Amino acid sequence: MIKIETQAFIQARFCEYYEKNSMNIQPPASMEKREFGFFLLKERIMLRHKSYKTAEELRDSLQKLVPSNVYYSSAYYELPEEKMEEKGWLGADLIFDIDADHIPTPCAKTHDTWTCRKCKTTGSGTPPERCPKCNEQKFEEKAWSCEVCLESAKEETIKLIDILTKDFGVSTKEISIGFSGHRGYHLHVKSKETVALGSIGRKEIVDYIVGIGLEPKLHGLSGIAGPNLDDLGWKGRIARGTYEYLLNATPEELRKLGLPKRAIQSLSEHKERILKSWKIKGPWAMIKGVSLESWGKIVEEAVKKQAAQIDTVVTTDIHRLIRLGNTLHGKTGLKKTETSLAAIEEFDPLKSAVAFPRGTATIFVFEAPKFRIGDESCGPYHNKKVELPLAAALFLLCKGAARITEDGSSVR
Amino acid sequence: MEIPSFPIATMMVAATEDSRIKRTYALAEAKRASSLLKGEGKQTIMKIANYFTLKLRPIQPQPNLSNYNFALDFTDYIRNAAIIQDKKWKLTNRLLSKGEVFLTTVEISRLLEEEIRRYIEQKLQVKVKSLPPSIMNRVNRLKQLFYEKRGKTSWEEIPSEVIIAAYPPCIRRLHETTSSGRHVSHIGRFSLTTFLLNIGMTTENVIDLFRSFADFKERMTRYQVEHLAGLRGSRTKYIPPTCDTLRTHGVCLGMDEICRGIRHPLVYYRRKLRVLKMNAPVAPGA
Repeated sequence: MIKIETQAFIQARFCEYYEKNSMNIQPPASMEKREFGFFLLKERIMLRHKSYKTAEELRDSLQKLVPSNVYYSSAYYELPEEKMEEKGWLGADLIFDIDADHIPTPCAKTHDTWTCRKCKTTGSGTPPERCPKCNEQKFEEKAWSCEVCLESAKEETIKLIDILTKDFGVSTKEISIGFSGHRGYHLHVKSKETVALGSIGRKEIVDYIVGIGLEPKLHGLSGIAGPNLDDLGWKGRIARGTYEYLLNATPEELRKLGLPKRAIQSLSEHKERILKSWKIKGPWAMIKGVSLESWGKIVEEAVKKQAAQIDTVVTTDIHRLIRLGNTLHGKTGLKKTETSLAAIEEFDPLKSAVAFPRGTATIFVFEAPKFRIGDESCGPYHNKKVELPLAAALFLLCKGAARITEDGSSVR
Repeated sequence: MEIPSFPIATMMVAATEDSRIKRTYALAEAKRASSLLKGEGKQTIMKIANYFTLKLRPIQPQPNLSNYNFALDFTDYIRNAAIIQDKKWKLTNRLLSKGEVFLTTVEISRLLEEEIRRYIEQKLQVKVKSLPPSIMNRVNRLKQLFYEKRGKTSWEEIPSEVIIAAYPPCIRRLHETTSSGRHVSHIGRFSLTTFLLNIGMTTENVIDLFRSFADFKERMTRYQVEHLAGLRGSRTKYIPPTCDTLRTHGVCLGMDEICRGIRHPLVYYRRKLRVLKMNAPVAPGA
């Protein structure tokens, strides 16, 4: 729980932000049909079912309320201020959330920390089933996002864009992308074609993107043939994923997949032949000792690699509230930042999302791993008083990893 | 005789005012239409598709699109195919490119069947004011015939006592994770709560289950559980998501023998109860 003085400090900075940057806050299209929601830091409540007719009204509200989080509905309503069942749903943008939380990342989240609720033992990474000291099962978790996490989230976003444009035929003009200000990206599709889709229809889209229920057999995998690299849709993705997987898979990884010895040996021996085979019909029928069942397991891995790891709940929820662009994230003090499809590869979220580029603040940090905000790398810290750039200081304060100092954190 | 017979049949079915009869009739008519369509040429199929404003386009057979005769906009596809259970209809298993799903003539006919079924069902929604007694007699006879053939559906009684041994694997796991106070996703909590409420657990007992959560707040939990039980707000009693939805959200952790034959966790519970009952030793004196 963030102490009251620290909370007041955060609130004051957020207030300055909304006063100075009011004009950068653009309402979503058809704003009058949307529901707005605000999380209030001090009261710790969610203020919902708000509606605005003009950008000015909305900006006014932000300055008055100084919320720690600002949301709007992906849905369009006849009466956005009414109770849910009386709002009159008219349609919704198709939205996607990619959060490092949901992706198995190479960093294995070693920067995350946990504290046993009972004996206060701490550790890093994902919490264990039971506390090694007192056997308790409940932990306080603190999530951090490192560059690797954010890069993984970006890669998933790029995969998602590829599937949406090539398979679903979504025009790049209909897509907007933004860094959420915390651990991932949001992608919105505003299209006449998908606006009226209900939850069941959106679930089918989700299943396609994640590869849920995919049957390799129905994409042409048989004992004698399989998909080609330039095939359309999932067919081609299966082939490309298999290509990539077999190129890099070690015998150990193949063993873990549950392939029999003979198949592993055969795949390792014929690596060259497999590579060449893609120029003609692929390796499906030509490698002896690899059964259809084994190919099935390889394809399953290929599908995992080709699928985009989206949060399935967000897309299927047709009443979802989602963060508004250029507003602050209460857990980091960073702002939600839009980027373009063309610029996403080079996009640096930890730089572009800095909302407080000037000033420094002195804070007392309890515990923080090494992290970067903007161009500045900070930490690791352990029970230490430090003077940091304001954005980095706010980042730690919002995370609850630091407090302001007794002598009053100075902002310069 | 066929053309005038359709409006008369529709009128009679509408007059039964029984939604099951209406659904059965609409389905039968749609099936018949679709089986006729399978033998039709591209032009006729295009005409019907246009009538339902489907974004359908005939295509020339191409080497990498072998056997396909049509390309259909994916939203039109989903609307009609999402309720068909067979795996081959799942979008994930279709050839989808540039927003279009590729289909054979037989497949587009099957999808048109759904359009036709909805169209007829909608036609049957009309209130038939009054029909001459001779026709009403026939309508009533139709109803009687239907009930004799199909019987009135009735659910087997669910015992008031909660039988943990009959939980499906997904719910069992959620129950265990929840009771030990470990983290459960929002959809997981929703599924567990609605499942338990629907098999007869009291709201009090459901609330107690969440007590071991570190962030447990009685007032909040009570509000939410009572809402799902239909005791508040819209007064709708919520039911758990289908197996299909649980799969999408990663709540389903793989299936057991019973799972393979069902599509809803509540149906699992009923089936498993039956299995348990059959295998139970007969009580002395019974």
